[in-house]
Amino acid sequence: MHLVDTVEVEPERVEDYLEVIGTPGMAVMGDAGASFVSCATTCDAIGEAVCIEVRWSFDDHVQWDEIRKNLVLDPRYHQYGATVASLRVRGTRRFFTLTTPSQP
Amino acid sequence: MLRRFEVYALRPDAPADAVVGLEEACRRCGRFIPEVLDSAVGTNLSDAPVQLVWEHGYASPEAYRRYMVHPYHAAVIDRYLLPDAPERIVIDGPLGAGLYGYRCDTPSYRMSSGVRRLVLLHLDNRSTETDVARLAETLEEAPTDVGGMAVSIVAANSMGSAWFDGVTPLMGPPRWTHIWEQGFSSLEALEDYRHGDSSVAAVERGGWDRQLGGIVKRSAELFYEVSRDTEETSGHE
Repeated sequence: MHLVDTVEVEPERVEDYLEVIGTPGMAVMGDAGASFVSCATTCDAIGEAVCIEVRWSFDDHVQWDEIRKNLVLDPRYHQYGATVASLRVRGTRRFFTLTTPSQP
Repeated sequence: MLRRFEVYALRPDAPADAVVGLEEACRRCGRFIPEVLDSAVGTNLSDAPVQLVWEHGYASPEAYRRYMVHPYHAAVIDRYLLPDAPERIVIDGPLGAGLYGYRCDTPSYRMSSGVRRLVLLHLDNRSTETDVARLAETLEEAPTDVGGMAVSIVAANSMGSAWFDGVTPLMGPPRWTHIWEQGFSSLEALEDYRHGDSSVAAVERGGWDRQLGGIVKRSAELFYEVSRDTEETSGHE
C-alpha cells in the first residue's frame, strides 16, 4: 500500500521542501515504520507552481495505524508537519492499493 | 462501551468547503464504519477556542480498534487532521489534546436531539475515590432538579490517554481528568439551568471553589446543538 502526498510548492521553495522530506521527513517516517518509495517533481520553469509527489509504503491499514501512533507520539513529527505546511500551497493525500491493469 | 469526543480547533483560513467536508466525514462515519455508534457533530457555542465537536461511541474496545484500522478513518477523517496531511484544516488545540472520552456500561448519553454540553474537569490529584464518587453522584442527580437536563454523566477521561486502543494509556494523565457530559432539550433549557436556582448551577456560578469537596481545580465548557446523520437508523430514543 502506498501513501501518496501530492503538493504544490512555489518554484523558489522546492529545494527547501525537498530538503525537509529528505532529512527530518525520512527520519520521522522511517522511524515510525514507513518505507520511502519515491519523490518526483514537475518542471519548475513553466510559470506555475511545482507539483511534488512523495510516496511512502507499508503493508496495510493495520500497519499504518501503528505508524500513525508512532508519529503522533514523536515530537519531531509535529515539527515536521508544521514545516511542510509552511512550504506548500496546497495538496492532497491519498492511499493507494497496488494493483495491475487487467488485460483483455 | 466507550464514549468518545474529538474536539477540533480550525485554522482561521480553513476553506469553508473543507470544514463542511470534515463535518460530513465525522457525521457520516457510521455509514462506512458500522462500529461507530451515535455519531453526531456540533459547532461549539462556548467561549472556548475550539469550533467543531464530533461525539460518538463504540460497543467495546474491539469495536474501537476496528474503527482505528478502517480505511475511512485513515483516508477520509485523517485527511483533515494529521499534522503533515496536505489538506489539514485544524490546529493544535488550546484545550490540550482534543480527544476526550470515558467507559460506560450503557449508552445513557443518548438523546435524539437537543444541546450537548461538556464540562471538562481537572480534579485535584489528591482526591480520594470517595471524594470523586461523591462529586459524581451529586452532579449526576442534577436532572432531578433541572427540568430541561436530560443527561448528566460524570466519568474519568480515560480516552484522553488511551486513544490507541481504548484501554491502554499511552501518555501521562490527561489535562482534563474527568468529563461531565450533559444533555439539554434546547439552548433555552441550558440557559434556564445556568441562571436557575439548582444547587449545582450555583456551584458552577461560584466557580467550584471550595464546593463539592473543593476537588475541582479547573473547568472548561463546550456546548453545541447536536447534528446527526439523517440516514442513521440505530434505535435512538
